[in-house]
Amino acid sequence: MAYFLELLISGALTGLMYSLVALGFVLIYKSAGVPNLAQGALVMTAGYSVWMVMAWGLPVWIAIPLAAAIMFGFGLIVERLLLRRMVGQPVIMVVMLTLGLEILLRGLVPGILGSTPKPIDLGIDFAPIIIGDVFINRTSLYGGIAALALVGASLLFFRTRLGTKLRAVSDDHVSSWAVGISVERAIGISWGLAGIAAVVAGALWGSSQGVDWTLSMLLFPAVAVVILGGVDSIPGVVVGGILVGVLGTVIPGYLDSFVGGSTRDVVTSLIILLTIMVRPFGIFGREDIERI
Amino acid sequence: MFYRLSGTYHTSYAADRKLWKIPADRWMVILLLILAVLAPLYVSPLYLGSYVLPWVIWSAAALSLTLLMGLAGQLHFGFAAVMAIGAYASIHLVRFGVPFELALLLSGLIAAAIGTVFGGAALRVKGLYLVMATLAMQYLVDWVVVNVPAISGGAHATLRTPEVSFLFVPVESLAARYWLALGWAVVLTVFFMNVKRTSFGRALVAIRDKDFAAAVIGVDPFRTKLMAFATSSFMGGVTGAILAYCFYRAVTPEQFGFNVSIQLVAMVLVGGLGSVIGSWLGAGFVLLMPIFLTNVVSGLAAGGWVPVSQNFLSHLPLMIYGAMIIGFLLLEPLGLAKIYDNIRKYFLVWPFRHARS
Amino acid sequence: MTWMRKLALTTALVAGLSAPVAAEDIKFGLLQDFTAVYTFVTGQYNQGQQDYLALLNAEGGIDGNTVTAIVRDTGNQPQRGIEAYNRAKEEGAILFDFLSTPVSAAVLDQIQADKNILITPAHGRGDASDGTVFPYVFPMMPTYWAQAATLIDHMKSTDGLDGKKIAFVHIDSPFGREPLPILEALAAEEGFEYQAFPYASPGNEQSAAWSEVRRYRPDYVMIWGAGGGQAVSVRTAIQNGVRPEQIHSVIWLAETDAANVGPAMKGVKRFEATASGTEHPILQRIQQQVIDAGKGSGDQANVGNSYYNLGVATMAIAAEAARLGLEGGQPLTGETLKAGFEKIAGYDAEGLLPAVTYTAEDHQGGGAGRVSEWDGEKWVPVSDWTVAYPDLIRRVIEESATKYKEGN
Repeated sequence: MAYFLELLISGALTGLMYSLVALGFVLIYKSAGVPNLAQGALVMTAGYSVWMVMAWGLPVWIAIPLAAAIMFGFGLIVERLLLRRMVGQPVIMVVMLTLGLEILLRGLVPGILGSTPKPIDLGIDFAPIIIGDVFINRTSLYGGIAALALVGASLLFFRTRLGTKLRAVSDDHVSSWAVGISVERAIGISWGLAGIAAVVAGALWGSSQGVDWTLSMLLFPAVAVVILGGVDSIPGVVVGGILVGVLGTVIPGYLDSFVGGSTRDVVTSLIILLTIMVRPFGIFGREDIERI
Repeated sequence: MFYRLSGTYHTSYAADRKLWKIPADRWMVILLLILAVLAPLYVSPLYLGSYVLPWVIWSAAALSLTLLMGLAGQLHFGFAAVMAIGAYASIHLVRFGVPFELALLLSGLIAAAIGTVFGGAALRVKGLYLVMATLAMQYLVDWVVVNVPAISGGAHATLRTPEVSFLFVPVESLAARYWLALGWAVVLTVFFMNVKRTSFGRALVAIRDKDFAAAVIGVDPFRTKLMAFATSSFMGGVTGAILAYCFYRAVTPEQFGFNVSIQLVAMVLVGGLGSVIGSWLGAGFVLLMPIFLTNVVSGLAAGGWVPVSQNFLSHLPLMIYGAMIIGFLLLEPLGLAKIYDNIRKYFLVWPFRHARS
Repeated sequence: MTWMRKLALTTALVAGLSAPVAAEDIKFGLLQDFTAVYTFVTGQYNQGQQDYLALLNAEGGIDGNTVTAIVRDTGNQPQRGIEAYNRAKEEGAILFDFLSTPVSAAVLDQIQADKNILITPAHGRGDASDGTVFPYVFPMMPTYWAQAATLIDHMKSTDGLDGKKIAFVHIDSPFGREPLPILEALAAEEGFEYQAFPYASPGNEQSAAWSEVRRYRPDYVMIWGAGGGQAVSVRTAIQNGVRPEQIHSVIWLAETDAANVGPAMKGVKRFEATASGTEHPILQRIQQQVIDAGKGSGDQANVGNSYYNLGVATMAIAAEAARLGLEGGQPLTGETLKAGFEKIAGYDAEGLLPAVTYTAEDHQGGGAGRVSEWDGEKWVPVSDWTVAYPDLIRRVIEESATKYKEGN
């Protein structure tokens, strides 16, 4: 029972760590309708920038805001230079563009900053929190809290004046233009926000596995989270994250040693497939009604 | 200049329906074919074995994928898995005692059967969701291959292709392997050019443009989408088998990983969706450009032109390659095929640029 | 259009590659993965290889012949590896190191047919140690089988194995599963029990596996992964109450991982095939003649790291083989180089390596290794160079090689 509980808790927390990656994806999709398959590479870039800033000798509490500022600017630049020109193109072109961006970043960032894994020390205590026979990993715990805080902040943000504009943009580009909202700026800001989310994800994942290009492989679980929760739903990120994390931990926790192979990717794949077959728009996503 | 007509003018419907409406095009294709067939005679083994041969095979793969993505408009991000099914099926079939020619066909059929299951998702969703669904299936197939030693070939997950002969010619020497691959690529090319003119091809295009509208005019989306997946997967499966027998000759799961699927999509898009010439050009570009860049960059480095670290140097081709993909999508979304078409059209009416082509 | 592209490509490539070639020049193809799966090791490893070759040339080369490295990135992609191999072969390289299991597998048959030397230190097929089946492949260093056996041997020497439990936590890939036959065989022989706990590749998240490991209550833990996943393994293990002293790792655990894990890493053990640190004559000379002379090929801080020294050791052995191969007075080809390798007896690269001896049957070089422990600063050896369970390893190698010969 304690084993189940532990898997449940660590799964939920891991899932929330995936939510951190997924949040950036949703922010961009919500406002721009762009599926950003470079979000993993964005997390990698963010992880590298946190490491870089810390290598200058700055403490964590300065390094992370500074890296967030860098990544916010980076998001703005990416939107301005690349995505703005893709408006009106078919989805496959946009998908491929983000994949091209991913390849570019995977060359550029490790090429300049070095490809051996870099450490990030966030000063999180190593010892687990022990409740009965249940061990809770502190990094995941803080990651989970950070994810909840970020999602909460995003929800609050969408209640501000700027956030309302962003919501309007996510509803309809043309009507937003009509009432004088700058759609381009709103989309740019959503890319910047995705950059900030990537910094939190990059710092936390980087502190647990080291910063190198493999951070960009977080995209796959994040995609599962997004599909399950709904591609344009911010609360969906939390629920989807927890579900993907729990299923991806509890099921392998019981199955793996029998199968003799890790079933986590299978579980993740099946989550994606089943969601798409049963409820393509996810738990909280908005169903697209197609007009002929 | 080459075309000797300033524009395209047809006087009969038959002329307009011809595969090659302009004689110069036909002569060029025949010339290319002759050059390609004779390639083993004048291309050094280095270039034949590591450039031309993989290019031919990947062009066949790109053609298979572009039938699905370009003609039928169904996105597929797990095509390497389909090829893997073909490759593994063909090897196990031959080991089981099935003649190679039959094994090729059967491996295509097996790939088609499983690939159609992939297509099941397409009946329900499209666009981004289809991308994700096929992506998930790629991971599933990978997992099965890696985790079932009976498929992947034991502890080292390497499966060597048995010695086979195709129509009594042993598929052993480089030239023989090249000719077999070329033959298959030519078959696919001819098929692809003709399928556009059949009712099936037109149904695919109708589905691509708008599946609801297609249903209204009597094209069954259910059947057509599944047929598209089946056809394309059959082609992909046989191409996978050809890839295994003619190029790698020792199959490992990494040869059909997720990144290969992405490469295939990149080939199709960079070349130009749904275009024959685009598939060839796109495959050449995506496959050979990183190799070419690596060689040029290290050539420059050896000459002392780029005084940077080994690490930066080895990442440079990746950067340029990523930038080129982005550049293509931004500057010429219709791909290399469109660039070729522009050049061709320029010469078609040359020197009367004002004339309509 | 096909031929035009072909022609353009050919001319461009030829033009792009006409680097100057010295007269008596031995060429080694170091065609490795600098950008994908193996990035965690390739940078330092290749730097060690290049620096050693620079040292060799600065000291007069091999009997006056210089050695040049052809360095290319393959991105871990087999088709790029094949191209790089064919090109380097054309340029005259006779020894190849891909440091990538998929690329080595894709090139293996071709390289044997061409009678060139393939070295697969710490990667590739373990059964290639059987020189009768793989005449031109030299794993050079202890295979993963030998590494697992050495670790188990070390566990036995510390606290005995009878009735003990070993948790084997591995990445879910063929590489991760490779030691299982050794564990299986030794469990019966030594009376311990073991259980395998796979985690999904690339291993950035392993909490499920380790929760299970904790409940298994192992006496020893073996971790079998690579790259960032190794740091996650050590971290998650310690968080699950495994003492660092219990953790025994495959060769892929180095200074970078220690930096990632932090001070808690102290006490973790790993297999090593070469000594680490700069206190060895060869490393000292590299420091003086290559690094201080400004001819180093990378970041100076890496000199003496585990992977750096591993790279140095591979080239030291290869150079020794080339020297012995040239003794007959014939020009150096794949065949004479192979003969040179098989003449190496008791070579220890001035203490960097255990004494290795290659024979026509044994291309592993004996399979000696040792266990070292992280003391918070560096890796300190805690055992002598030993060959663990050589008969068992040989049997596994031969069984697997026989299967290869039969067509697998």
